[in-house]
Amino acid sequence: MNLPLLSAAFAAFAIALYVMLDGFDLGVGALLLIQSDEHLRDHMVDSITPTWDGNETWLIMAGVTLLAAFPIAYSILLPAFYLPLTVMLLSLGLRGVAFEFRYQVDSHRRIWDVAFSFGSIMAALMQGLMVGGLIQGVTITANRFSGSVFDIFRPFPLVTAAAVLIGYIVLGSGWLQLKATGALRLFAERMLHRATPLFAGLAAVCCIASVFVQPGIAAAWSAHSVPLTLVIILFFATFQAVMAVNGHSDILPFALALGLFGLGISGLVLVVYPNIVPFRLTLWDAASSTLSHVFLLIGAAVVTPVVLAYSAFAYRVFRGETPEKGWEV
Amino acid sequence: MKLDPAILARLQFAFTVSFHIIFPTISIGLATFLAIVEGLWLKTKDAVYLQIYRFWLGIFAMSFGVGVVTGIVLSFEFGLGFAPFAQIAGPAIGPMIALEVLTSFFLEAGFLGIMLFGLHRVGPKLHFFATCMVALGTLLSASWILSANSWMQTPDGVSIQNGHVAVTNWLNVIVNPSWLYRLPHMLAAAYLTGSFFVAGVGAWYLLHGKHEDFGRRTVALGTAFATILVAGQVFLGDILYGTMVKYQPSKMQAAEGFWEDHSQSPAPYYWIIAPDQAHQRNRFAIGIPYLGSIWLTHSLRGQVNGLKNTPPDRQPRMVMVFYGFRIMYGMAILMFGLVITSLWLRWQGRLFTTRWFLQALVIMTPSGVIATLGGWYVAETGRQPWVIWGILRTADAVSPVPAGALLSTLIAFVCIYALFITAFLVFTFRMIRRGPELAPAHTEASGSLKNSLRLQVMNNAASSHPALEEQLP
Repeated sequence: MNLPLLSAAFAAFAIALYVMLDGFDLGVGALLLIQSDEHLRDHMVDSITPTWDGNETWLIMAGVTLLAAFPIAYSILLPAFYLPLTVMLLSLGLRGVAFEFRYQVDSHRRIWDVAFSFGSIMAALMQGLMVGGLIQGVTITANRFSGSVFDIFRPFPLVTAAAVLIGYIVLGSGWLQLKATGALRLFAERMLHRATPLFAGLAAVCCIASVFVQPGIAAAWSAHSVPLTLVIILFFATFQAVMAVNGHSDILPFALALGLFGLGISGLVLVVYPNIVPFRLTLWDAASSTLSHVFLLIGAAVVTPVVLAYSAFAYRVFRGETPEKGWEV
Repeated sequence: MKLDPAILARLQFAFTVSFHIIFPTISIGLATFLAIVEGLWLKTKDAVYLQIYRFWLGIFAMSFGVGVVTGIVLSFEFGLGFAPFAQIAGPAIGPMIALEVLTSFFLEAGFLGIMLFGLHRVGPKLHFFATCMVALGTLLSASWILSANSWMQTPDGVSIQNGHVAVTNWLNVIVNPSWLYRLPHMLAAAYLTGSFFVAGVGAWYLLHGKHEDFGRRTVALGTAFATILVAGQVFLGDILYGTMVKYQPSKMQAAEGFWEDHSQSPAPYYWIIAPDQAHQRNRFAIGIPYLGSIWLTHSLRGQVNGLKNTPPDRQPRMVMVFYGFRIMYGMAILMFGLVITSLWLRWQGRLFTTRWFLQALVIMTPSGVIATLGGWYVAETGRQPWVIWGILRTADAVSPVPAGALLSTLIAFVCIYALFITAFLVFTFRMIRRGPELAPAHTEASGSLKNSLRLQVMNNAASSHPALEEQLP
């Protein structure tokens, strides 16, 4: 059996789930900054209260899978992304504290909302930087990172960072449409209306620019031209659909926005596979010994269904619109 | 001044891991304490036990939460600061850390939610089962982490193939030579931490004449557990000491503060030294005569081995190991004195009324945490200059990240973690000041990843267990 492929599939699954599940609450967090009405802000936070921090589960899952199954890739990518990754971890931490404080204090709640929002925005930007950094490529000598930690702050990753942030805002607006009524729902429609074309534009720039910053893209393109073309056509068709359903449906804007991210990730996987450090190192070259994969995969096979079932249960409990006065009432 | 990336990477790891270990230590201790208290409540139906449970549940949830958040950082830090280490050791420690993560997710996915929010929803028996599973789960988590760390101390079960570790026998990797001794030592430390924490808060209430029933019961429980645990820890520590002398002689040489191959006879037991590593000597040393021979060689005039037995390029920094050990051992002696006193006062029937003793308990509230940190400093600084004993030197394990970047992120970590500790302390003090009578049936600070049962708790609170309601204050 091809164990490294299975481990890689598990890591990709964890990352995809993370992006889709944490993306919308990072988006809602970012939107807090431009919502001046405290009552509506409370309502926005209530909509993500039950689930937001559980979603980070999948991020850690991806990290430790990389360490256990692909130690070589882990030890190249983490130093290469040292700055964005560290800032992302700190931002996620800041979000956590801000969230607890926001509930416990009566005055100065705005400060903690700004902190929560700032943490969300930074985390989203840093994730976008890393996506750009992956496509742009990292410098390797003899299986070790040999570039500079500042390589990532180049124009291309900066554009992908903006794209991911705006994409999360699209997701977040879709989520709020699903969960909110009245003034907040109108706010969400307005945000979706503005953010979606911006996201489409930034995504198009990323697609085109990637060919110029990374020669490997052209090679991947010729290898998988049919599926990649299909992904891109679907991707931009979905943008049209999001704009069309905005305001006319509860669930469709969010579902379609999730679809956008699903397609984006599939595109990325098509381009990167069979490498794990893009364009430099394949899954099998970076893999650890067979017994390590066996050990990891058995654990993952036992635990993942339970965690998934529980998450599904949590989402089911809190389905439908968020009550006006929060979940506690 | 030129900054050394290796020092900064180590400082950053030391800071984040030291901060982190405080919270799992508290949660492991409190989880087991909660399981015992809930068991007592089910058996005796005494409402004070339920009150104790509800009060400590809130603090447990918060420390669990901070532990999770700071643990996320650690799972990435192996690669951020020590990429070559991750590359070489990943196949061995990676799966163990992954299993730890999976274990804790498994728990959070089910039992933690029930424990934190489900008392009314599932009924007392099943709730007790959930609490026991959480206590067991924290033990399992600790067990994986201790396996991974012990493997770095005494690696086994692997072969080295062109610079990479390949696992040949998982059983030997997990049950490596020092794990069996280090795990019970750490667990006892965590339970001691919980006991002194609980007893300290109870003593504070008694000193202030508040919540007397609660205070008496927790002081009685806390000191009783501490008495048993201190007695056990003396043996566990002694056995571990003997094991480490065998596997890592340089660590124990550094811990005792002697330089010469053989110390003077009789050997004193040093408490304060000023080691001069470069000249392989102490600038000065203060100790208690004869005690070193008696404690360390179990004879009146025995000689103790000094650090010069180890070549200088394989020596740890004596100052770190020595003082880490003295902090842990000093705390142990204070704890020992306190539990002996508690036995005497209990026999005299003055356990709850002797003010100086209660004051001492309040001061000793964080003693478990301090001792645990001291112990981990012995373990980790004493392993130097190796990161994996005999296989990889720490100096060769540092990521290619410039010093400036490391310094900036270190400062950022300190700032954010200062917020964490402030939040934890503010909310803990608030809960303690408010007192146990107002502690809600479910935790309020979400603390953990799982809020999801809250809604149903609210809906079911009044209806599902009327018998339970009668017991609630």
